[in-house]
Amino acid sequence: MKKLSPIAFVPRRETVQTASLAPVALYLGAYLLVCFFSSDPMVLIAATAGAAIAGYGCGAKRAVNFSLKLGGFLALTMIIVNALVTSRGATVLARLGDWPLLGRVDVTAEAIAAGGVIGLRAMGTMVVIGVWSACVDPDRILQAVHGVARRSALTATLISRLVPLAATDYARIGEAASLRGPGASPVGRGAMAHRLLAGSLDRAVDVAATLELRGYGSSGASARFRPVPSRFDRRFWLAGAGLMAAALAELLAGSGRFETYPEIAYGIGLEGPLVAVAFLVGGFVTWRRGGR
Amino acid sequence: MNPVAAPRASGLALEMENLGYRYAGAEVPALEGIDLTIEPGEFIVLAGGSGSGKTSLLRAGCGLIPHFHGGEISGSARVAGRSITDCGPGELADVVGYVAQDPETQIVSTTVAAELDLPLRFRGDHPAERARAVEEVALALGIPHLLPRTVTTLSGGELQRVALAVALVTRPPLILLDEPTSQLDPVSGDELIWLLRRLNEEWGVAVLLAEHRLERCLAAADRVVAMDAGRIGFDGSPRDFLGWAIESRPELATPSALMFAGAGIEPLPVGVRDARRILRDRDVHSGGPLESQGPQVSPGSESTPVLESSRLWVELDPGEGPVDVLRGIDLEIRAGEKVALMGRNGAGKSTLLRAAAGLVDPVSGRIETPGGIALLTQNPGDFLVRERVGDELSGAEGEAALRAVGLDVSADRDPRDLSGGERQRLALAIALAGRMEGEELPGLIGLDEPTRGMDRGLKSHLTELADRLALRSAAVLISTHDVEFAVTFADRVILLGDGEVIADADTATVLSGGWYFASEAARVFDRPGLVSIEQGIALLREVER
Repeated sequence: MKKLSPIAFVPRRETVQTASLAPVALYLGAYLLVCFFSSDPMVLIAATAGAAIAGYGCGAKRAVNFSLKLGGFLALTMIIVNALVTSRGATVLARLGDWPLLGRVDVTAEAIAAGGVIGLRAMGTMVVIGVWSACVDPDRILQAVHGVARRSALTATLISRLVPLAATDYARIGEAASLRGPGASPVGRGAMAHRLLAGSLDRAVDVAATLELRGYGSSGASARFRPVPSRFDRRFWLAGAGLMAAALAELLAGSGRFETYPEIAYGIGLEGPLVAVAFLVGGFVTWRRGGR
Repeated sequence: MNPVAAPRASGLALEMENLGYRYAGAEVPALEGIDLTIEPGEFIVLAGGSGSGKTSLLRAGCGLIPHFHGGEISGSARVAGRSITDCGPGELADVVGYVAQDPETQIVSTTVAAELDLPLRFRGDHPAERARAVEEVALALGIPHLLPRTVTTLSGGELQRVALAVALVTRPPLILLDEPTSQLDPVSGDELIWLLRRLNEEWGVAVLLAEHRLERCLAAADRVVAMDAGRIGFDGSPRDFLGWAIESRPELATPSALMFAGAGIEPLPVGVRDARRILRDRDVHSGGPLESQGPQVSPGSESTPVLESSRLWVELDPGEGPVDVLRGIDLEIRAGEKVALMGRNGAGKSTLLRAAAGLVDPVSGRIETPGGIALLTQNPGDFLVRERVGDELSGAEGEAALRAVGLDVSADRDPRDLSGGERQRLALAIALAGRMEGEELPGLIGLDEPTRGMDRGLKSHLTELADRLALRSAAVLISTHDVEFAVTFADRVILLGDGEVIADADTATVLSGGWYFASEAARVFDRPGLVSIEQGIALLREVER
């Protein structure tokens, strides 16, 4: 029985899945933009929560939970690493003495806060990507790309198919490695990587052959991609435009609102909470009346 | 302009004249002096052992040879009038469909609907035409319910049907299939063959089908072409083919033909129905138990248990919620037994083997292997990660494992250069190494579907290996879809259905008690206990006397 990746696309009759590509890209793009570039923890938390709400609203609960767990782990790692490697900041919380390689280690509140901001960015970005991956049909992206960049579409198709195939190969070879007798040479990372690479090249040849057989290289003009309109498009266009404006405003006006060095400084005004509320409430755009 | 809206060239579906081909860097040609014509609407079975040139011939028929694989080509080949040297696979896509052995590498889209739509989109069809073509091919193949599904959620049988639908969606006059049933259970395999026959009759599409298990498809064929070392060894009717095979290549003959030839009965039967008709005409009636054949006694019935499971429940989550894959399995296998584990795709065979090897944990109940277990998974190549045999296995433990599987190859050989059977033995030796006490094998040796894509010669080598291991007191548990292989290898058959044991007895009892999970001899004679070719010959000789 095959196990489906938590962020794999699953077709559903939900809002994001049925809406056209462009308005959904605008809507989720706004979240991605703000998660990637904002340095305001309140905005980042709100945007992450909004993206998670958006994911829950369109049935991507597994993808959101998976992304939150993975993002949470990454955020924690970043906080710890930053606290250990950065000794900048005025508020020393602990002096841990001299460590091999790291030298003198002073844990400061500022370094923890800076690590937290980076971690929040990573977590928010992962949630947005998880929702996109679980809810947006890759075929539609490839069809859209095919019309404008045919060779790139071939590459993208190969990659989009090779990633799950390589994941399957990795799982199978890993399982075979665990079944090797204790008297056989152990499978090191190098041998495993070499085997996977060789297998991937074989797979790439097979997939490329399949594309040829489907008529990829035919001289006939491929049908143009014509998106099927959805009744949810208007909703995503409006919400996406509003959120994108808020994201751009945040990028232009929000820098410097939250500073970590030399001391933590947070200039709470009106615009930060407004942007945060917009992204939090914006998550409900994916929800349907009477839905989950 | 839509190139397919233009009328196709009329005449032969496929025409090859003195075609020869050699892969780049190969010493021996893969194809030599091939003269072959296929009329529109013909159903042709392509027979031959592993490496005889079947796949190369199919690749040449769809333009992958020479355009994709390179190499040197001589002679000529035309598909619906289009030369394969002038037109690449993309340009031939609307006149020939191709279905390969592994369905996983034939799917490039996310959903079934998108996959079916892809060739039509590449061809430049109008959206309305595409929608209708997708709907019609889905209906023809009985898969409209799969259209919205993602391809990652499909079973092997469903994937193979989708691959067939994609090959047919452009309504090509010719379809080429390379062992499409090798990964399917007997039920799905039979369904696919008869689906092809129906499409052949209703749509008029010519079919060229390469198969190892000829008993499955010969009755559907109009003609058989047999490959032998890159050349056509035989080209004629299925009945004439059987006569040729008995004389020249007995390993290609079907069980029915071997039984009838062994008893000196003519004509040789093309399938079960034909065999029964011939027997009826000769006043040989089926029914009633065999007097000379009682149930076989398992040789391990007095020996120590090597696998014990009690109320075993295993749950797996494929991504859409947990599913019970094994449901309360009670089982005992003893040392020296040779057991075939059978059941349709998804019945739980692999999961049972994986649970025995500790790869999945039960949610309830227990499974134990007191004498240890060595398990070989479906693809032996997954065990081979280095470039020298000596780097995979070294030292006394490695040598003992190689001796146990009867493999004598140089330590400097590259595992990829070994034959299919040798690779399988090497992989098993890797699984065994260090699990043996001196020369003593682990209690249980499991192999998961090792016969996929094997010809009868390789299967007989596998049977010899199983005998060799069982003689050294290991129990051998092989999951397989191949009923004829189970008859020759196993003394006990466990049949799983939806995670439960639905039959567990000696081979003769289980494989003569049904229709799909029954050998050809059992289907011909319908006598409890009669499953093997030898039993069939003995019975025929008895009644002919």
